[in-house]
Amino acid sequence: MAQLSYRDAVAAAIAQEMRRDKNVLFLGEDVAAAGGVFKATVGLLDEFGPLRVRDTPISEQAILGAAMGAAMTGLKPIAEIMFSDFFAVCWDIVVNEIAKARYMSNGQHECPLVIRSANGGGARFGAQHSQSIENWAMAVPGIKVVAPSNAADVKGLLAASIQDPDPVLFFEQKSMYGLKCDVPEGDYIIPLGQANIAREGSDVTIVALAAMVPKALKAAEVLQEKHGLSCEVIDPRCLVPLDTKSILESVSKTGRLVTVEENPRLCGWGAEIASIVGEECFWNLDAPITRITTPHIPLASVDVLEDLMIPSVDRIVSVVSEMD
Amino acid sequence: MNVLMPQLGETVSEGTIAVWHIKVGDTVAKDDPLLDVETDKAAIEVPAPKAGVISAINVAEGETVDVGVVLVVIDVEGEESAAADSETASPAAAPAQAAAPVAAPTPAATPMSSPTSAAATGSVAKSGAMLSPAVRKLVSQHNLDVSSIAGTGKKGRVTRQDVLAIIDGSTAAPAAAPAQAAVTGRSTPVPVPAPIGADARSLIPFDRIRKLTADHMVMSKATSPHVLQAVEVDYTAVDAVRKSYGPGWKADKGYSLTYLPFIAKAIVLGLREFPKINSSIVEEALQLHPLINLGIAVDLNFEGLVVPVVRDCASKSVGQIAEGIKALSIKARSKSLSPDDFAGGTYTISNSGPFGTLMTAPVINQPQVAIMSTDGIRKRPVVIESESGDSIAIRPVGILAQSFDHRAFDGAYSAAFMNRVRNILEQQDWASEL
Repeated sequence: MAQLSYRDAVAAAIAQEMRRDKNVLFLGEDVAAAGGVFKATVGLLDEFGPLRVRDTPISEQAILGAAMGAAMTGLKPIAEIMFSDFFAVCWDIVVNEIAKARYMSNGQHECPLVIRSANGGGARFGAQHSQSIENWAMAVPGIKVVAPSNAADVKGLLAASIQDPDPVLFFEQKSMYGLKCDVPEGDYIIPLGQANIAREGSDVTIVALAAMVPKALKAAEVLQEKHGLSCEVIDPRCLVPLDTKSILESVSKTGRLVTVEENPRLCGWGAEIASIVGEECFWNLDAPITRITTPHIPLASVDVLEDLMIPSVDRIVSVVSEMD
Repeated sequence: MNVLMPQLGETVSEGTIAVWHIKVGDTVAKDDPLLDVETDKAAIEVPAPKAGVISAINVAEGETVDVGVVLVVIDVEGEESAAADSETASPAAAPAQAAAPVAAPTPAATPMSSPTSAAATGSVAKSGAMLSPAVRKLVSQHNLDVSSIAGTGKKGRVTRQDVLAIIDGSTAAPAAAPAQAAVTGRSTPVPVPAPIGADARSLIPFDRIRKLTADHMVMSKATSPHVLQAVEVDYTAVDAVRKSYGPGWKADKGYSLTYLPFIAKAIVLGLREFPKINSSIVEEALQLHPLINLGIAVDLNFEGLVVPVVRDCASKSVGQIAEGIKALSIKARSKSLSPDDFAGGTYTISNSGPFGTLMTAPVINQPQVAIMSTDGIRKRPVVIESESGDSIAIRPVGILAQSFDHRAFDGAYSAAFMNRVRNILEQQDWASEL
């Protein structure tokens, strides 16, 4: 087992799948010669050459249009949208074309592609380069949504996403690219739709995603030490397909649910999970479901303000310890 | 190993310990009977899943506990700690707890078992305390008085842990809510003055069947506006077939060929023409039932009433219905009906006829929308009209009386159905229906 960073795990997963399947190719802005602006795809051009690893012009529509055409005609493209904020530029192709290709063609066309993107805040990039948009993607039928919280999950989930026969939006949290952890060597796959019970506990269930997972785990330690509260931390890893079974079983056990998300307050993914638990687990709840989110305002680039807005360890500890 | 309250049918969520066959310290072999459980009117024996020594009995006779609760602990040789062993007697039990809220409620589930109405009947409603859904559910399931539980949550709130501690026995149990609360349900009981000369024997506590029946009857009358309609039926045609085939039937089967299977068959034929009567009300809609499953009310020697179900009667002959009814009544009187024998009824027949009653207004068996009472059949003078003039004849005559739910349909529809059932009974070629 080797220590890999979150960014190295991205390159490792792409290389693993490109070696396995010659139909896998990779394209995006500055992804080949420069190895990506976050240096997450270094070395791929050298190993696989310019036919399969391509730099593109600065046009998100062109990148995704080309990827969609390649996918519908038998290849397995991986496209990069540099910042997930830029999905707003090419959302028509994602929502109206890629997500619906299988449906509109009555199953005659598959669209097996992965769109990777750097998502989320914490890196002082300001309101137009720091958004968490996994909830936008969750709202569109026809696409799968993955958001890993550590390097091992990046490798296993990205490989599974590339092998998936349908379009997957793969959100890498840009503030986590430098974080290392043990990553299994060799071919490694984590099936989509399986939550990870990151910490077991009996008093409160905390559901957190991506960069919120390490914060929830740290908060759970503090809550155990200072407040005697035993927190179960669940990382769903995928919003679509969502492992509702693991979440419902956990809440049935603990009777309490807190969601921690980077999404702005309104219609963040935590609201969907709260709704599912409210409908299916109501009689096992011992306290109101509580959401911890970024406030419903554009994200600030100033350090202290961004830190105030994005859910922090202190905020999680404070909210959970004051629950009914 | 722990032996849990087993899941004894799709809609069954709890059971009552009827009798223990073992005591602590007993050695049991695999499959030895441990206890009898009464659940939704049936008694079932729970056998030992493994051989061993009984180390603990957690639930007393007469207590009612949820599916999945540990009933008895068996020390099995070679297994380390009984408490650590998660093996269960019923594989369905533990996962069902988590899965239950997800499953859609079946139409056949009685409202009594739903947490909503259970919470309303428990001692939660009167306390006025702020209680979470989980606490409300536990309190009603275990019949606890929440006002006597000390809350350890914020502002003294009773938490799920507080209730679980009492259920586990780690805290002294508060006085259970009075049994009458469960029976009288939502209404305030009217005080009964102590009768003169009454002693302890004159107060008969309701057993489980009595309580369930009482609750169901109150709920049914509160739910459905009942309308009674009755027709007088001339059973001459049925009688003729009974006279010619009855003795052979009795010699062959060992029991009599009664009027009931003919009436049941006539009802089935009528229901096929009037499908709204074979239905249930769901929200603001009538859910028609594709199958005709006849519930047959069976009296247990004045000790209670059960309604087992003869399934899919649409395709059954009179003889097959007779055999179905006989098999169920034998099982009912030996208390060996399984919970699934009660499930899925779509129309019910209540038969007071053997006692010679003139007419009975039956209470609908929810969530059905109609119920038929078959009353006494006896010879009467009947006016026969013919072209050559009226005459008086002696005919076997009885009254069929149906209560129906006026929400579901109107009197004309029900009356047309009753008329059709009468015509079938009077005019069918019954010899060919046997």
